Amino acid sequence: MAGATQAQEASVGSPAPKKKGPATIDTLRVGCVAMVLKDGGHRRAEILSIKETKSGRQFYCNFDNFNKRLDEWVPAARIDFSQDVEWPNPEKPKDAKKAAVPAPKKTATAPKKAQKRPTSITRETSVASEAGTPHPWTEFVDSLKQSPSSHTDEKLTLALDLDATPGAEDDDSMDVDEVANSAVSAKAETQAHFSREEEIEKLRTGGSMTQNQAEISRIRNISKVQFGKYDLFPWYFSPYPESFTQEDLIYICEFCLCYYADNKSFTRHRQKCTLQHPPGNEIYRDDYVSFFEIDGRRQRTWCRNLCLLSKMFLDHKTLYYDVDPFLFYVMTNRDEKGCHLIGYFSKEKESADGYNVACILTLPQFQRKGYGRILIQFSYELSKIEGKLGSPEKPLSDLGLLSYRQYWTENLVEKLLEDNASGSKCSIEQLANKLAMTPTDVESTLQALKMQVYHRGEHKIVLPTHLIKKHEASKEKQKARPKRSIDPARIQWKPPVFSASTRTWGW
Amino acid sequence: MRPQANGRIVRIKKLSRSAGQQILREDQIDSTEYDSLQDQYKVETGVEKSEESEYHLQAALAASTGGKEGEIPAPPAEESPDIDYNSLYSLAFDKPATYIRFSQTVEECTGCQYDMTTDDEAFLKAYNQKKPANARCSEDDFERIMEVFEETAELQAPFAAVDNTVVPFETMKVSLKEQVEDKLHGFAKDIYEFWKSRRQGSGNNPLQPSLKFETHQENDDGDPYVCFRRREVRQTRKTRARDVQSTDKLRKLRKELEEGRQLISLAYNREVTKRDLLYVDRSIFEQRAKVKDVKVKLGIKTDDEDLINQKPQKRKISDFPQLNRPSVTQLRLPGRSDGRPVDADLILLSEVLAQKENRLRAEIEEKAQQHRKWNLGHVDLTREPLSPVHGQGQDTGFRPATAQYQYLMTPPSSVTSESFDQPSPTHEKPDPFTFRYSSPPEEDQPAGQPAYRRRIGRGGRLWIDRRGMPSAGRGVDTTGSDRWKYDQDDDDEQPVYEMDPYDTKALRFRASIPVPTHLLPQRARQEERAAIMARSVVQSQSQPQPQPQPQSQPQPQAQAAT
Repeated sequence: MAGATQAQEASVGSPAPKKKGPATIDTLRVGCVAMVLKDGGHRRAEILSIKETKSGRQFYCNFDNFNKRLDEWVPAARIDFSQDVEWPNPEKPKDAKKAAVPAPKKTATAPKKAQKRPTSITRETSVASEAGTPHPWTEFVDSLKQSPSSHTDEKLTLALDLDATPGAEDDDSMDVDEVANSAVSAKAETQAHFSREEEIEKLRTGGSMTQNQAEISRIRNISKVQFGKYDLFPWYFSPYPESFTQEDLIYICEFCLCYYADNKSFTRHRQKCTLQHPPGNEIYRDDYVSFFEIDGRRQRTWCRNLCLLSKMFLDHKTLYYDVDPFLFYVMTNRDEKGCHLIGYFSKEKESADGYNVACILTLPQFQRKGYGRILIQFSYELSKIEGKLGSPEKPLSDLGLLSYRQYWTENLVEKLLEDNASGSKCSIEQLANKLAMTPTDVESTLQALKMQVYHRGEHKIVLPTHLIKKHEASKEKQKARPKRSIDPARIQWKPPVFSASTRTWGW
Repeated sequence: MRPQANGRIVRIKKLSRSAGQQILREDQIDSTEYDSLQDQYKVETGVEKSEESEYHLQAALAASTGGKEGEIPAPPAEESPDIDYNSLYSLAFDKPATYIRFSQTVEECTGCQYDMTTDDEAFLKAYNQKKPANARCSEDDFERIMEVFEETAELQAPFAAVDNTVVPFETMKVSLKEQVEDKLHGFAKDIYEFWKSRRQGSGNNPLQPSLKFETHQENDDGDPYVCFRRREVRQTRKTRARDVQSTDKLRKLRKELEEGRQLISLAYNREVTKRDLLYVDRSIFEQRAKVKDVKVKLGIKTDDEDLINQKPQKRKISDFPQLNRPSVTQLRLPGRSDGRPVDADLILLSEVLAQKENRLRAEIEEKAQQHRKWNLGHVDLTREPLSPVHGQGQDTGFRPATAQYQYLMTPPSSVTSESFDQPSPTHEKPDPFTFRYSSPPEEDQPAGQPAYRRRIGRGGRLWIDRRGMPSAGRGVDTTGSDRWKYDQDDDDEQPVYEMDPYDTKALRFRASIPVPTHLLPQRARQEERAAIMARSVVQSQSQPQPQPQPQSQPQPQAQAAT
C-alpha cells in the first residue's frame, strides 16, 4: 500500500486541481479527501458523510479505488491529519452534487457539452486496466478536455507508454494503486456524459441497471439485517423505509421477505406468515436446489421485497421503476423449514437488447459456494429452451464479471478441448450457439483469456496450459465429488408468453 | 496494427465470427512466439468504466488470467448468535413430491396486515391489566382492530400526513361493524384513542413503515428513497383497425357485464317471487286453519278437500324417450326445501326441451314418411341413365330390327315407365306389327345387325337408341356422315332422329300406325301434366314481370314421339 501515500494531483471527487491544506477534526467537511487508515495502510478516501456518535464524530469514507461495499464509518482516530487534505471546490457543480448526497434535491445536471465520448480514449483505458499495466494519465484526460486538438499526439504517447509498462503478471500494489487514478478520472468522465434524463429514459424502456452512480445515494443506509438464521451486513444503499436508517438491526422474513424494524412486529409477523417457499411455480428441482419462476406483475409485493433485499448487495441495480416487466427466477434449497432463498436472477419479459439476465445475486451467506455458477447455468439453460442467445445486462459488477468469466471460461475450455482433440476447426459463432452465449461474449472471453491470437496470418484459438490444467484438475475433483450443476432434463418450463394486451395495459 | 517483438508491424486481418479457427494447445505452439502474441486485444468487460480499474477487481482478473484464483473481499454474512430460529420459523415444511405450483400473494399468506410493535405491546399489557381475565383483548384482536383503523384511515384520508385529518371514531365504527365481530367492539374506543395518539406522534403517517412511492412532486426524481415508479404505458400505434378492435372489445365487455347484471337481477326476482310464494302458502295455510276451526265450530263435515292442496294433475309424460331427464331431476331434487314433488308444480327446463325435441322429431318422422310415400315405387332412372337396369346385359333393350325393318323408320311407341320394369305388356299382347321382343343372346347378334331400344328419359321423354341401322338420310347427306361420331347417348342435348321427316314413304307409313292401347294411360297423364304446366305458365305470366318459361312447351319430345 506504499503507493497510496503518494499524493496525487487528482482526487476521488474531482479531476480538477484541488486546494490542499491541513485540516482538523472540526474543519473536515463532506467532500474532503483525506488519508484514512484501511487494511493496515493509509489510503485516500473521500468523506461522504459525517455523524456524531456517543464515541465521537465519525466519517463515512469512500476509499480510493475500492469498491463501495468497502466504504465504512471511521472514527477520527483513523484519519491521518498529519497529511494535507484536499478540499472540495465549491464552485464546481459536481462537487456540490457530491456534497449534497444526503440531501439530493440539490442535484445539478452534469454539463452536456461532451456528449460524445472520445472512444479511442476509453479503449486505451480498458487496455491499460485489463492488462494490469496502468499508467497515470489523469492529466492527459484533463488536458484533452481542455484542448481536443491535442488528441492524437496524446494517444500515441499513451500507446508507447503501454508497451513500456511491465507485464501482466506484475501484481505490484503500487501499480494497481496507480490504476486507481485512471479510474477516478474515468468516473468523473462518465458522470459528465450520462445526464439523468438519458439515464431515466434508458430505464423507462427497459433494463434494471443504472450506469449513473451519482443518482444513487452513495451511503449505505442499513447497517445490519437479520435474515433467517443469518446476520447480513449490507454493502450498498437500499430504499427501505427511511425510518429504518436509524435502526441498528432490521429484520427480514426469510420467506415473504417482508421487512421490520421492530422486533415485536417481526415476531408477530412470523406467527402469522404461512409462506414457506417463493410464491410461484417450481420449474426445476434436484436434490440440491429448486428454482421458482415468479412474475413481477402477479407477485408485486414479494418481488419488490426481493428487489429491496438484493439492492443491499447490488450497486448498479435500480429500483427506480416497478417490478412488473420482470420475471424472477429464484434458487432455493430445501430443508424441513421450507425452501430457503439462496439467490436469484431477474429477467426482462421482453428484452430489447437480448439480455437473458437483468440482475443476478447470490446472497452473501451463500457466496463462494458455487451457487452463482448454477444460477448462471440455469439462465443459459432457459435461453437454450427459448432458442435464443443470451447475455447478462450491463454493467456487470466486479463480482458479476468474475462469476461470468469463470462460467464462460469453463464452458469454452471444455468445448475447445473437445474440438482440439478431434482436430476440427471451430468458429466463434459455433461456440456461441453451442453455449447459448452471444458471440460478443465468446469473443471477449477468448480475448480476455489471451486465447484469441493472430498467428502466421491466421486467427487461431490457443488454449493456455494453465487453463487446461485447471480443467483437468476440476475433472479429477468431480470424480470424487460431482460438481453441482443443472440437469436440463429436470426443467419443467415453457417460455412464458405475454400477449399484446398484457404488454399494453400491464406496464 | 501492432508492433511485434522484432519491430515488424503486422496488419491483422479482421476476425470473422463465422470463420472456423484452428484450435491449438499452448504446447502446440512455439512458446516465444506465443508470448509475443499476447496483449493484442482490448477487451470489453461490461463493468462500469469507473469501477473497471478497482484494485480488487484488477487483482482478481490478473490472478485468473494468470491461472490463479482471485477473490474480491466483501463484508461477510454470519450466523446470528442470538436467534431462536426454530421458534421464529416454527412451521414444518411438508415437502411435496411434485413440483410446487403456487399463486397466492404475500398478502394472502400473512394474515392480518397489521403487526403490533413493542409500543403496542406495552399499551395492550397495561390495558389488559385493568380488565378482568375473561374480558382481555388478545394480540390478534388488537391487530385486527388496528388493521381496520389503518385501512379506514388510508381510505378516508389518504392525505392525512399533509392535511392532518383524523378520521373520527364514528367512521371507524362503521368499518369495524363490517369487518370485525361484535365482541371486539368493546375494545374499539380505547384502542382508537391509542391509535390516534400514535398517529399524531408520527405526523399522522401510517403506523407501519412503508416505502416511498412517487407523489409527482418536483423532488421525487432525485429522492433515492422513492422507488417502484410506474412505468409509462407503452405507446401503441393508433390505427383505424385498432380503434375498431378496441370499440368492439369494449362493446363486448359491456354486453357481458350487462348480461351478468341481468342474470343477477333475474335471480333476484326469482328469489323475491319464491318468497312471495311462501308468504302466500303460509297465508293459505293460516286461512285454512281458520276455516278448519270454523268448520269444527259449526260442525260442518263436508268439503274437506278445501283444506288440503289438491294434488295437481299428473303431467302427461311425453313420449319423448327420457334419456337425459332423470339425471337432471336427480340433481335438482335435493334442492327442493319444501319436500314437494318436483313435477307437481315445476316445469323443468329439461322437460320443456324434451317436449320441443319430441315435437321436432315427430315432425321429421312424419315428413320422412310422407316422402317415402311419394317416392313409393319410384325408380331413379336418371342416376345411371345408360346403365343396364337390374343386372341385365349392357345391350338391354336393344332389339334387332328385323322383318319389316325397311318400313319401320320409327319404332312403335314405347311402353310406359311403369311397365318398364315388368315384362312389357307387348309380350302378352302381340302387336299388329310383330316385333321380336325376345332378345336373342347378344353374342350371336352379328355386328351389322340393326337394333334399337327405347328409353324413357327425364320428364317422360322418350328416347330411341339405334344401332347398326343405316340411316335413310345417310346416303343423301354424305358430308354429315360422321356427324354423330362424338355424340354420346347420355348427353342432354336434344336427340336427333336420323330420318327425313318429309320422306313420303315414312309419312305414309306413320299414318298407318294405330295408337297402341297400352300407350293411352301414359298419354292421358302427359296431357294432364301439360295442362298443369299450362296453368303454371298462365300464373307466371300473370305476374308483373312475366318471364319466358322454358317449360311452357311441356315435353315436346315425348309428344313428338307419340
